[in-house]
Amino acid sequence: MKFNLIICGVGGQGSILSSKIIADAAIKKGYEVRVGETFGAAMRGGSVSSHVKIGDIHSPLVAHNSADVILSMEPLESLRVSVDYLAPQGIVISDIRPWYPVDTNAGGAPYPSNDEIIAELKKLGKEVHFLDAAALAKKAGHPRTTNIVLIGALAALGKLPIESKYLIEAIKERVPQKTIDVNIKAFELGFDSIKKS
Amino acid sequence: MKWITKDEPGSIKLMMGNEAIARGAIEAGVQLTACYPGTPSSEIGEVLGEVAKDLNQYFEWSTNETVAFEVAAGASLAGARALTAMKNAGFNLVMDNFMTLTYGGVKGGFVVVVADDPGAHYSSNEQDTRIEAVAAELLIFEPQDQNQARLMTKEAFDISEKLELPVFLRSVTRLSHASGNVEFGKISQKRNTIGFNKHWKIPYRWDVYGPPGPQSKREWLHSRLPMMAEYVENSEFNKLTICDSKIGIVTVGIAATYVKEALAELNLVDKIHLLDLGIVNPLPKAKVAELLNNSDHLIVVEEGDPVVENAVRLLAKELKPEIIIQGKLFDNRVFPTEGEMDPDNVRIGISNALNLVINKDLKREELKAAIKKIITTRSSTLCPGCPHLGSYWAMRKILEKYEGNSIVNGDIGCYEQGGYGLATNTFEITDEDNKNFKINSPYEILDTIYVMGSGIGMAQGQYQVGHKGKILAVAGDSTFFHTCLPTLANAVYNEADITFVVFDNTWTCMTGHQPNPVTGIKGNGDVATIISIEKVSEALGIHSVSVADAYDIEGAKKVLKAGLDYNGPAVVILRRECALQVLRRKEFPPFEFEILQDKCIGCKACVELGCPAITFANGKADIDRALCVDCSLCAQVCPVDAIICRSV
Repeated sequence: MKFNLIICGVGGQGSILSSKIIADAAIKKGYEVRVGETFGAAMRGGSVSSHVKIGDIHSPLVAHNSADVILSMEPLESLRVSVDYLAPQGIVISDIRPWYPVDTNAGGAPYPSNDEIIAELKKLGKEVHFLDAAALAKKAGHPRTTNIVLIGALAALGKLPIESKYLIEAIKERVPQKTIDVNIKAFELGFDSIKKS
Repeated sequence: MKWITKDEPGSIKLMMGNEAIARGAIEAGVQLTACYPGTPSSEIGEVLGEVAKDLNQYFEWSTNETVAFEVAAGASLAGARALTAMKNAGFNLVMDNFMTLTYGGVKGGFVVVVADDPGAHYSSNEQDTRIEAVAAELLIFEPQDQNQARLMTKEAFDISEKLELPVFLRSVTRLSHASGNVEFGKISQKRNTIGFNKHWKIPYRWDVYGPPGPQSKREWLHSRLPMMAEYVENSEFNKLTICDSKIGIVTVGIAATYVKEALAELNLVDKIHLLDLGIVNPLPKAKVAELLNNSDHLIVVEEGDPVVENAVRLLAKELKPEIIIQGKLFDNRVFPTEGEMDPDNVRIGISNALNLVINKDLKREELKAAIKKIITTRSSTLCPGCPHLGSYWAMRKILEKYEGNSIVNGDIGCYEQGGYGLATNTFEITDEDNKNFKINSPYEILDTIYVMGSGIGMAQGQYQVGHKGKILAVAGDSTFFHTCLPTLANAVYNEADITFVVFDNTWTCMTGHQPNPVTGIKGNGDVATIISIEKVSEALGIHSVSVADAYDIEGAKKVLKAGLDYNGPAVVILRRECALQVLRRKEFPPFEFEILQDKCIGCKACVELGCPAITFANGKADIDRALCVDCSLCAQVCPVDAIICRSV
């Protein structure tokens, strides 16, 4: 068994925490796991992605065209990573809220619409799910749980070789004690959003 | 008790490579660790600093890598188990004693960890530090995964004591900054006795000039080499698998993980020989000879420069000159000579060496190329409310008032962002002699960036040959103490008319907010004396020293002008704590800023400030409340007072 996941977003959105939660859960289930972080200089605002590999694997990097799922905190980042890494049978889950790059604000670079991004993603992979994870996070009780909403959505797809109970256990261990309930709620809201759609 | 110090042998945790190295040192009973932070190595020191008091160990963030190395070396000479860790660039500073300490060796286990950064994700260069460690004739470990990083670090202390030599452990970004399953081993409770013996086993052991002198000490070093050779031959970190084949692969470190995946993908597992090395230097000659005997074609796969390949080729020249070897050297190379290795280029390189057909979906490649055209670049920025945004704005504005082509020499730290530019900016170079481009973002202000401490030195050379125009250099607080002090003394001594601007934000931010001599905290959390940058500058003989708040643009312009107008070396300190640290302490100001949409004229002055909390759409600027830290800088640069402050 091999499962390749890439979690991406913009620096500061929490994608690295998400990758550690999923990796913890994989270890709880008894798998071998590797997480490779890819980001440039340590400042915020740049593109960030974490490669999470589970099962019969050795290296910390996903090969091109072989990500089973890409979980993105930001629409354009989902396309940036998918174009190189998404497997033709792969699935993309992304939050719908754009974080405009400084290049766009400065006027030199147009930012494609979500419809455009979704259309291109569909050409690259099999399934695309765009959800308002930030709104669900707010509903759960804190906007910073957007990453956990997306983990819930990932769990609901049924592709991840890890049961929800391990993910919930891992979330409880990784997030601050006081925020456990809000995070679990965020997980459930993300889960339901896919199950219902 | 911190999770990483738990003595629970057998339990499995997800750990970063750096955490695994720290855990290995804890298990080995390290007594002293001294480091200077540098990505991707910093977490080794962070972990050992956090647990130092609990485990009754000594930890310090030293002022630079040389200092860290000497502190750790001194501890080892006194008998303690010691570790130093740094990044590739920092290792260059250490070379002097690194090449000399080996002549007398060490007493307590001494492990030097260096994290290289192939691909230059966080570094000025891609240098492979194994080359220097080979030159020093040391044992070099190169782990391929996190658990092996733990095991090797632990082992490195033991073998260092047996060989009485420092041991080098080479990591790379994809090991240090990747995570994987790590099994806890037993934590040793044994501690080396501290004591100093001037003539330990050899006369004048710790005095390289002690009679009969350095050459005899080198003879002693060479007398250790057979012991090292025997060790690598028997080490379980070097594994040779011989199959029914005439083809073999030699690999080491992280590259071995890509090789194993490629072999599985290409259905070649156990169909070709594999020499899976964990030790780079020296090579296990008998194992390599056996591989050579069984092969007529070898592929060498390693991360970085062809260090192992060179050694294998040298041995092959002696033992089997007709063998074909492919790696990164010579025209038959199958791997790239720049950038890092990855699952794709390793699989493709092996396929090419073996003349295997590479299936390429051309239609998909065309589709990807088309899609890439609409993927806007996301240039990195400084953080919302970063004090450097104010410093750079003030610097740009004040420099506009001076004639001639000013030069701003950069340095290494978050402020190097001031030279990153925006990828979407394209410039037409019309005049080769005067590439004085219009500065249109704070990310264009730095003209030179190389390494820590280089800016202030280069500035002096530019002045001494008569450059017309103002000459500045920029450095951060940690960099000031790291490598700027001798260079600042040089500016006074040799009378260089330059303006040295110190961006003091209290922490060593770019590597993850480690404390330094201006922070007031030591690496183990204890309170520390704060060393004043202005007093040090004055004591060195700088007569123009001025300080301003980086959040006060007019004030910053005033002190910059004072420095630039002074005839002689001047120091300008722009001070304000890193906004992220303030945010982490949840210190929110009792006011917030807002852009009045009807007053905004869309001039983009606030966008040019470079703050990522400023958005711009439909001809108007706005503030992203989720990012804004209410630093007031955008309100200060708005020419029409459209940005207002409200109490909350």
